[in-house]
Amino acid sequence: MLKRWILDFAYYLDTSKSYQRRKQFFYRLLEDDKFKYKKYVDFLMITLIFISVIVLIREVKHHVNDYLLFFSNYIISFVFFVEYMLRLWVSSSVSKIIVERAEHDTFLHREVNLRKAFLKILRVKLKYMLSPQAIIDLLAILPFFHELRLLRIFILFRVFKLFRYAKSFQTLSSVLATKKFEFLTLGIFASIVIFVSSVLIYVMEGNDPNSPINTLYEAIYWSIVTISTVGYGDITPVSHEGRFVAMLVIIAGIAVLAFTTSLFVSAFTEKLDEIREIKMIENVSKLKKFYLICGYESIAREVARKLALSNNDIIIMDEDAERVELAKADGFTALNYDPGKVESYEKLSIDMATQVKAILCLRENDVENVYSALTIRSIDKKVFILALLMQDVNREKLEFIGVDKIVYPQELVGLITKELVGKPVAFEVIHELRSENADVKIDELGVTERIVENFPTVGELGNKKFRVVLLGIYKEKDDRFYFNPLDDMLLEAGDYLLVIGYEVFIREFEKYLHTKVSNA
Amino acid sequence: MRFLFVSLKSISIQRLVMPKTTALIFGYNKYAREIVNNVKDKYKHIKIYTRHIENVKEQDLKFVEHFELSDKWYTIKKDVDIKKSMAFCVLKDTAENIFLTISLRANFPDLTIIALASNKESANKLKMAGANKVIPLVETTSDIIANMLEKPISNKILHSILYEESALKIAQIKISEESHFKDEELHSIDWTRYNGIIVLSVMRKDMKSEFIYSNKAKHHIIEPGDVLVVVGYEEDIKEFEEKIGSKRYVDWSNWSW
Repeated sequence: MLKRWILDFAYYLDTSKSYQRRKQFFYRLLEDDKFKYKKYVDFLMITLIFISVIVLIREVKHHVNDYLLFFSNYIISFVFFVEYMLRLWVSSSVSKIIVERAEHDTFLHREVNLRKAFLKILRVKLKYMLSPQAIIDLLAILPFFHELRLLRIFILFRVFKLFRYAKSFQTLSSVLATKKFEFLTLGIFASIVIFVSSVLIYVMEGNDPNSPINTLYEAIYWSIVTISTVGYGDITPVSHEGRFVAMLVIIAGIAVLAFTTSLFVSAFTEKLDEIREIKMIENVSKLKKFYLICGYESIAREVARKLALSNNDIIIMDEDAERVELAKADGFTALNYDPGKVESYEKLSIDMATQVKAILCLRENDVENVYSALTIRSIDKKVFILALLMQDVNREKLEFIGVDKIVYPQELVGLITKELVGKPVAFEVIHELRSENADVKIDELGVTERIVENFPTVGELGNKKFRVVLLGIYKEKDDRFYFNPLDDMLLEAGDYLLVIGYEVFIREFEKYLHTKVSNA
Repeated sequence: MRFLFVSLKSISIQRLVMPKTTALIFGYNKYAREIVNNVKDKYKHIKIYTRHIENVKEQDLKFVEHFELSDKWYTIKKDVDIKKSMAFCVLKDTAENIFLTISLRANFPDLTIIALASNKESANKLKMAGANKVIPLVETTSDIIANMLEKPISNKILHSILYEESALKIAQIKISEESHFKDEELHSIDWTRYNGIIVLSVMRKDMKSEFIYSNKAKHHIIEPGDVLVVVGYEEDIKEFEEKIGSKRYVDWSNWSW
């Protein structure tokens, strides 16, 4: 009966959407760095930790307000306790283990063995509870029993909780973990030296009435102080034999110190690029809207520069290390990844649909562009892709892949020369309007609901007051451009105003459109 | 908008509107072929000059002639009416292209030269060498890409004005002696009376161009010889021309970036 009930409940939890959603929410709140609310939880926890440490320090010599003491001992402990339980809860799924067991046993036509399932649950939860971070979390709750004086010191464990929030510490430990073997060797060597020298000094001087070394504990203390090259001098050997041991320990100490330093340095130099890359990827994944440029040759370089001028975030990806260095020197975020590999985009951990404005395949090589574009399309069907085309014969390939826009410089030259010959004036004017250095610019202003409310018709816009020429209105819904519209033309949300004027005046006009308060 | 014009008085109207009839293309490569494809309907004669005649495709042979950079240009002088010609310098090697431009300018001061440059640096050098117009390939391509992404609508409209057979046109209209606009202040004219036309800028006789709403243009008194840059549909521009009693014109004489 009970078994039936447990199984039903496990199945219910495993399939309940609202339960899973809640659990997912708490999981993200506690563990997912990309979750927007996590930073608030982190901040709260860090504040609580500092409050308890301040109370602990203050308590040493002064009387602390009882409420504050109560807050530090009980409330904070309670908050940490809740956090601990939540972490334990989200660390693994109990219902899933039971359901898996049940499925497994039913499949094999056996009686469902709940005992095995519970053992597995115990194992999984214990594994979490015995992880260093979980132990620190648990110890941080202990000051709740502050009447036991010894437990009060556990407040300091709360400080260790900070490691959970300090990314750099995690990087440090991961870097040092790569040199595990070397550190182990060093540790064994140092321990043997300490052990041998403490025994030796104890044997040599333990019975000497002039020597300050009377116990093995003092001998070990002396050895460690000496081998670390700290050498307080509060305990010094007095006999010849003792001094001889001291000399050996000092020499060994120099070796240990040198070895330790070089280990740290080499671990970091080896990992430095990786750390930088991790940091960079982390920054990239936080960006809201950016252009991803694959390849960094001359055209890509110019495009990146131009896009950056209008405050766009740009990420460069190129397989060639030299070009990546150039991009970095130009001040861009550049990654030495192959744009033709799915792995490169996975490493970036970005959501193409929401984070990427457009992907530009700007290698001056069609094979590479086709390959990159195909790779990107295989990941996301919708993201806007613009590709450079060098040979017209390859146009179909890019179209077949589904590239949204193809730019063919050779064709541009043809068109430009044609226009230079046929419509030089138009060419000059338009070139000037587009040029980044010109004072007079063309710009497009989106029409919002609010603008329509305040300015229902073209005549009411008052663009002339702002010395802005209204070239026309583009209506997105019927994809038509209405040149020089009459004053009584109605504006609709979603329209675009095409305006020409000095940059400052256009900005002023735009501000006016957005901020004007309704007369009504 | 900065347009450079030489004193208009010295140039006869005849000269200003004189159409170019010959295209001289120096260098035979993909750009040259693209230019041929685009301009062959507009020019009566097209000549391609190359040093490697053996690489020329059969269908292009009718256009191609041999030349060397060290040539004295006698044959060209003899065969071609330079004043009616436009030269395109599209040699692959930048140094050679610059050398070619200098040689052309030295021999033919009146020739309109358009040169292709790979980047801004060589574009500057080509301008110094005497090219009237330089197309910096990298900059132009990247300009177009950046505009496509950042200002897709204006890009589309401008592109259609420029490269497609759009009814919308940009034209220059020169104020003539007979125009009833002359001696009027620019801002006193009610441009809305000329429906369908947008006046973008005015170019004064001293070659400077002013945006219609700039401070300087505001009190500018229109004189004969001033040029208005207008946008509008073909019929409207025609109507506008008739109303103000002036004609549009194209100046090839001293056209610079």
